[in-house]
Amino acid sequence: MTTTTGDPVRAEHDPEEPPQPQSGSPAGGEAKRERWIAIGYLLPALAIFGLFIFWPLVKSILLSVQGTDILGNPSGFVGFVNYTRLFSDPDFLQVLWVTFAFTILTVIPSIAIALLIALLLQSRIRGVRFFRTAFALPFAFSVATASVIFGVLFNPASGVLNGILNTFGIDKVQWLTNPDLALWSVSGATVWMQIGYNLLVLSAGLGALPEDVLEAARLDGASGFRLQRSIVMPLLTPQLFFLVVVGTIHSLQSFGQIKILTVGGPEDRTTTLVYSIYEQAFANNNSNYGYASAQAMVLLIIVLVITALQFGVLERKVFYR
Amino acid sequence: MTTTSPKAATPPKATAPKTSRRSSSKPSHIGSYLILGVLFLIVLFPVYYGLVGSFMGERDTNSFPPALWPKNGVHPDNYSKALDIIPLGNQYLTSVLQTIGITLGQMVTSALAAYAFVFLNLRWRAFWFGVFLSTMMIPFESIIIPNYLLISQWGLKDTIAGLTLPFLATGFGTFLLRQSFLSFPMELRDAARVDGAGHFRFLFSILLPLSRPSLAALGIWSALSAWNMYFWPLLATEDPKHQTIQIGISQLQSSDSDSPGMVLAGVMLALFPTLLLVIFGQRFIVRGLTTGAVK
Amino acid sequence: MKTRPGATKSHRLRYAVPAVVASASLFLAACGGGSSSDDGGDGGNGGNGGAPAADVLDKASGVTTVAFWHAMDGTNAEALTKLVADFNSQNTGKIEVKATYAGKYDDAITKYKAAIQSKSTPDVIQIYDIGTRFMIDAKQTIPMQSFIDRDKLDVGDLQPNITGYYSIDDKLNSMPFNTSMPVLYYNKTLFKKAGLDPEAPPQDLAAIRTAAEKLSKKAGGPADYGFGAAIYGWLLEQFIATDGKEYCDQGNGRDGKATKVQFDSPEAVEVVKWWQTMVKDGLAANTGRDTKAAQAAFKSGQLAITLESTGQLGGYSKAAKEGGWELGAANYPHIKAGTEGGPIIGGASLWINGENHEDANKEAAWRFVKFLADKKSQAQWHTGTGYFPISKGALDEPVDVDYRKANPLFDVAVKQLEGTKLSKATQGCLLGVMPQARKASEDGLEAALNGTDAQQAMTKAADSLKAQISQYNSSVK
Repeated sequence: MTTTTGDPVRAEHDPEEPPQPQSGSPAGGEAKRERWIAIGYLLPALAIFGLFIFWPLVKSILLSVQGTDILGNPSGFVGFVNYTRLFSDPDFLQVLWVTFAFTILTVIPSIAIALLIALLLQSRIRGVRFFRTAFALPFAFSVATASVIFGVLFNPASGVLNGILNTFGIDKVQWLTNPDLALWSVSGATVWMQIGYNLLVLSAGLGALPEDVLEAARLDGASGFRLQRSIVMPLLTPQLFFLVVVGTIHSLQSFGQIKILTVGGPEDRTTTLVYSIYEQAFANNNSNYGYASAQAMVLLIIVLVITALQFGVLERKVFYR
Repeated sequence: MTTTSPKAATPPKATAPKTSRRSSSKPSHIGSYLILGVLFLIVLFPVYYGLVGSFMGERDTNSFPPALWPKNGVHPDNYSKALDIIPLGNQYLTSVLQTIGITLGQMVTSALAAYAFVFLNLRWRAFWFGVFLSTMMIPFESIIIPNYLLISQWGLKDTIAGLTLPFLATGFGTFLLRQSFLSFPMELRDAARVDGAGHFRFLFSILLPLSRPSLAALGIWSALSAWNMYFWPLLATEDPKHQTIQIGISQLQSSDSDSPGMVLAGVMLALFPTLLLVIFGQRFIVRGLTTGAVK
Repeated sequence: MKTRPGATKSHRLRYAVPAVVASASLFLAACGGGSSSDDGGDGGNGGNGGAPAADVLDKASGVTTVAFWHAMDGTNAEALTKLVADFNSQNTGKIEVKATYAGKYDDAITKYKAAIQSKSTPDVIQIYDIGTRFMIDAKQTIPMQSFIDRDKLDVGDLQPNITGYYSIDDKLNSMPFNTSMPVLYYNKTLFKKAGLDPEAPPQDLAAIRTAAEKLSKKAGGPADYGFGAAIYGWLLEQFIATDGKEYCDQGNGRDGKATKVQFDSPEAVEVVKWWQTMVKDGLAANTGRDTKAAQAAFKSGQLAITLESTGQLGGYSKAAKEGGWELGAANYPHIKAGTEGGPIIGGASLWINGENHEDANKEAAWRFVKFLADKKSQAQWHTGTGYFPISKGALDEPVDVDYRKANPLFDVAVKQLEGTKLSKATQGCLLGVMPQARKASEDGLEAALNGTDAQQAMTKAADSLKAQISQYNSSVK
């Protein structure tokens, strides 16, 4: 996960300029020795990265330009066949669209709702502590636990959601099997999973706002929504920006809720990129590692682009105090 | 590391909430309460139903409309039924071992690397730092196939090693600890060196104990994301006895049994540790959220 | 002969004699140019050729361990564990079967693929029906037929309609094990309430519709929906078979490698169109692909007629008893009355791995498989799990007779199976990408139920498989 997002606090030292040891500069031999020691300290992490990130990355690229036999073995170089197949496959174009829609449907509402709650909890009302704890509870849920609960709630025959609608005289809704609705339902469950985290981040951000600025604004007669909009919101941009980036990447990686709630259906309308990779590589006795790896490379590129945007373009526009 | 959810990330800048807020009551607060109340009902309902439903029998859950509370008796036997269907004891143990392994592994490798970045005369520092940063930009899902092939080739499926190995190092953790180490007073460090403390001893008996907040922050996030992992354990395990609790409860749902109460009981069991953490350790978590960025 | 890497020296000595025989016969077979699956089989060439000599096990000293991977969990696993224990106690000191749960069907086959790569396949593995073509093409296993021929075994006790699925040219590749069949279930109580004859269940599409028109709430009937079944590709395969048609070309993949699926044929589209119209008219529920959703709806009396496997008989009977209604079962419906055809069996079968396995292990594996197929074991298996027995004799075992007395509806399935004429249509389609084909047919059916034109949906689904089928066929040449 890309985590160094929008950290407004500058490191005291730049990574490129190491703090030189201030003690009497060591003799040449000792400096050399220390260089080796330094490498030794990096080594455990580097070994893990090499084996489980960089080598797999190379292997993914290699797999993506090869065919696959029925046992999952690479069956020889095929050039960019897997890639051309991707972009001529209408199903894959749908996968990209679903991925995009899912991201929008989860990131924006989960931040908006969390922001609303955070601002409401900011007002000086009784029971804030209780509410704060209560609203953070979804944070305790894993993707699997939350998805299984939502699976029970969404059950068309005897699910509670339909039960509640029934008391209002509304007919049963096919939450997960109606192709026009399923993505909304899965997104709704995902928004719920995200609220707790977003709320914690935003609350922490709000708590850190300089009281004097708020006080000054209040003295100037700013209150309610005006105060929120013109004073609080700009001060919160680092947090909001952080949540947008992290949320987007998190949504792109979502898998468990789709596997547990819809297995990509109905009509593949909830098959996101990651789920599609899973399906091509591991489901239905598939082992189309070549084709799946090409899709994995698409995922990688999308995430890299978003990360680059974050570092390069957007970060400069975010308001930092 | 990419599998860690964004929960493992440290958000920007925040300090402890300011105290000294005066209470005032305005008419707009009624509106606030109203909106809060509605949101409260919506957000908390799944939690409520998960808990209460785990004690409801099939007569309550399988009728339509289903009951919202146990009308026909309380069924704690849902829990024993869930334990019958999945080897929950084994799965709990697997999850715990996996979580401990990943958490400790990440803390150790991150601490060592961060130490090298901050205190040692490392050549090509910028390059290595770039390498560590780049690991955070590669989503694990995009390299999951070769990882799966590797772990199966090594015969590590259904083992704790297979579940933990790919996650024993983290660019994020290294970055977090590096930030914390950077603020360590150099004079203290020099004093320790003068006293004859070697790198290793300095790191483990002086630096790390003094960096407890950051270390705790890293530990919490590592543990939470390890406990909650889903995709990788799904691939890396087959035997229910060796699966993690997260996979176990999703199997409960697809088992032949038709008892939502039993499924929810399994969920509650899996939820228990993290729920306790969030209810009783919320302040700690918030601090974890914010430490990385402050000192 | 290849010995398994890592075999001890004493092991190698032990098999020295059959090894010589084996290489000789391999040589002869190669000279003759013919293959060896039915040559009486002292083959044992370490490959998938044929059965080892019958006496290898007698020559072997010590205990031969048989690794057995299965995909059964819950009560099925309990019943299987008991059978394994029985076999082991009968063969103490000679053979020991070690059963391992390899995950659900899909996981088991994935695990098996990995095992092929690392040359560590189990001696016996249980693989689902739709993995049959893949298992043949993976070329790791010894056909059952070569053991049967070697022992001149009378297999008249095995249900031919069950072994038919796993046979090509009358040669049995794997031993059927857990077997189920599709039947039509209906709620007799709802039938009575709707004024229908509870003893005359509908047997073709038109009749189901007529009944549904009386049963459905929309038309003033007692049930929410007259009909409802999961969007499950298996059910569509069954309709094509009961109509006497083939699901894929090349004689359902039994004359050669199938090159296309035919679920976009007029007959299949007729079923889809019928189903679609039923849903549109409010006579059928669309409960999606999750079979549990349709099961739950039927159990709670929301559906009056459903299609499911015999495996659900136990669950439905229990639900009927608890819910205070009467359950009925009948033959799987035909598209039109009077067509000749019948349902295809489903389930899984047992495969013996030859490649990289010792002769003694192959023989021990065969004895284990033979034990499981025996009428006594099958009666125990059937009554313990509700799966269909593959042995005719099992039905006469006292325990089985009692079971069917308690579950009279099971006889519907027995009669249905015995009444089905074995043909390529009812043998079912063998296709390397059968799991994907089933999913594709579900895509098509689902799209149609949600409003896409039936023909268009099924054609699109069938076309989507073309690339996968040709890729598969070209990679196993």
